[in-house]
Amino acid sequence: MSLNRMEAVTRSLRAEGRRGLSPYVTAGDGGMGRTLQLLHALERAGAHCCELGVPFSDPIADGPVLQAAADRALAAGTDVDGIFSMVRRFREEGGNLPIAMMSYCNPLGRRGWPEACAEAADVGVDALILPDLPVEEGGPVRAAADAVNLCTIFFAAPTSSEERIRRAVEASRGFLYVVGRTGVTGVGTTFDDSAQSFLQRVSELAIDLPVAVGFGISSAADVSAAKTHADIVIVGTALVRHINKAGAEDSAAVAAAESFVRDLMTGLGSPNIS
Amino acid sequence: MQETRFGEFGGVYAPETLMAPLEELEQAWRELREDPSFEADLHSLLHDYAGRPTPLTRAEQLSAELGCELWLKREDLLHTGAHKLNNALGQCLLAKSMGKARILAETGAGQHGVATATACAKLGLECVVYMGEVDVVRQRPNVLRMELMGARVEVVKNGQRTLKDAINEAMRAWVSDPEAHYVLGSALGPHPFPSIVADFHHVIGRESREQILAQAGGLPDLAVACVGGGSNAIGLFRGFLDDDSVALVGVEAGGEGLETGRHAARFSGGSPGVLHGCFTWLLQNYDGQIEHTHSVSAGLDYPAVGPEHAALQAAGRASYEYATDEEALAAFSALSEREGILPALESSHAVGWIMRECEELRGMRIVVNLSGRGDKDLSTIMATRGGSAVDSVQGSEVMS
Repeated sequence: MSLNRMEAVTRSLRAEGRRGLSPYVTAGDGGMGRTLQLLHALERAGAHCCELGVPFSDPIADGPVLQAAADRALAAGTDVDGIFSMVRRFREEGGNLPIAMMSYCNPLGRRGWPEACAEAADVGVDALILPDLPVEEGGPVRAAADAVNLCTIFFAAPTSSEERIRRAVEASRGFLYVVGRTGVTGVGTTFDDSAQSFLQRVSELAIDLPVAVGFGISSAADVSAAKTHADIVIVGTALVRHINKAGAEDSAAVAAAESFVRDLMTGLGSPNIS
Repeated sequence: MQETRFGEFGGVYAPETLMAPLEELEQAWRELREDPSFEADLHSLLHDYAGRPTPLTRAEQLSAELGCELWLKREDLLHTGAHKLNNALGQCLLAKSMGKARILAETGAGQHGVATATACAKLGLECVVYMGEVDVVRQRPNVLRMELMGARVEVVKNGQRTLKDAINEAMRAWVSDPEAHYVLGSALGPHPFPSIVADFHHVIGRESREQILAQAGGLPDLAVACVGGGSNAIGLFRGFLDDDSVALVGVEAGGEGLETGRHAARFSGGSPGVLHGCFTWLLQNYDGQIEHTHSVSAGLDYPAVGPEHAALQAAGRASYEYATDEEALAAFSALSEREGILPALESSHAVGWIMRECEELRGMRIVVNLSGRGDKDLSTIMATRGGSAVDSVQGSEVMS
């Protein structure tokens, strides 16, 4: 099977011993036009890949900031068709940033997994992250995603046994998503000794699969701490908060996102030193 | 994990952080359900503390009026006033056996919250209950009862501010504190909750079957219960699943009528999807977003139905009907005035459907689960009618 865009990037990060940044934005928050501009801005700022959140009415793994972003996006009329069209346009405009679509099961599953995966791959989505889909339930999604060369990304959490982590590694392509601590999105993660040893344990179990860590990473200093045992650092809530604080003008929101991501990138350090 | 589904429904659609606690729970449940000392402890709690068995009462006047033989399973007489205590005591005892000290729960009508607060007080556990702001207002007495028993009530102000949002918040709290035990209050959510909750409520159906055989001399033609998440209904149904001659009917909330879109009739107005950890019938839009629901009863005001009900419906073993707000209120009045029983608005839906369909049901022997008592609903009921003597009296003047 050919490498997809996400795998190409994450494998080269791993092969070259470099670290990467994966910012998250909620699709349709501030309008789909803004989201399109944001994807370009993330790419310009040097992000290695990104997560594009599909808003859901009942996001049980999200804290207040991402809940509010989903509510705003849904109130603005966001739907999966609109998100797919926007991604297609991003690719048509030359956007080359690998995109992981992050969605609770129901909005995508509603279309039927084969249909959802085929359409996602067709418009230029590279991976799926489904926070309420454990490996146990992942079979149908993996089959549908594999058929169209779309990566599926599963999770490891501090509560996960070694056996569970191994199964998540085996089921994932692109990277393994490591939840840095127990809890919902947006609450700060402290990279203390126990968090670092958990990350180290996961990255050992992941063997060749790149590892991404997220949940509560909000500054260049956090990024710097998080990258010790992770190939990719994910920043979600902090970026969404920055964008939302920048105000109603798309240009201001996009500029705020770009400068924040550039700042976060400094936490990765020199490109040649891991 | 072992079998996680009922037919194609159910499953474990949970964040990875919760998978270990769910596996641990399944393991503990499989061991303890076979453990004689756990069974003895639970039996003692249900019998000597909660007041089981609850009676089966023949509704004499209503039966005569409706032309059928109507029997009421009196879960309203269980301690705390609803069937919910069966599950709350069972799960809290289970949690305690697992060494858990802290209990999380959601509640809609407040009955599960009260039951959990009660079980926690009795068993010495810390208790936090998540409840939507709208439900806090309409079920005020239950909030006060929970607090009096030492529980902390967290008011949920997200979304529709009802049961669905309380479950969202309780699940977020559990993700943040996976060492706690989450006492899910209905037969829904990720495996193993639907099975555990149904197991603890099976006692309703077991007793009903024995009682109807002893008191009426035969099985019923029909077993009827209201269905929100579906815990009281699955408890009753499990007693009669193997009796092919007994038809099983679940009654959902028809709200202001299906045509208005303001209802919670998942089988009539919904489609299968994933919410709160399981694949089941739910109310959703074309894009998989969960729809708002409406019901006069907080306990039925929920967009998804328990997965075992979805499987029973698919297999043709049970059928699912609905009663509107108005029909439920009429049933509330009928039971109050003809039988001297103030039923919960949830349970009133089951009787409301029987009253509407009484021509079809003529001559039949029917067991209906009267899942709770209606004291909690007085402010809702009184808002729909007037003319109480209390309205003419100024309390402060009389008491001063």
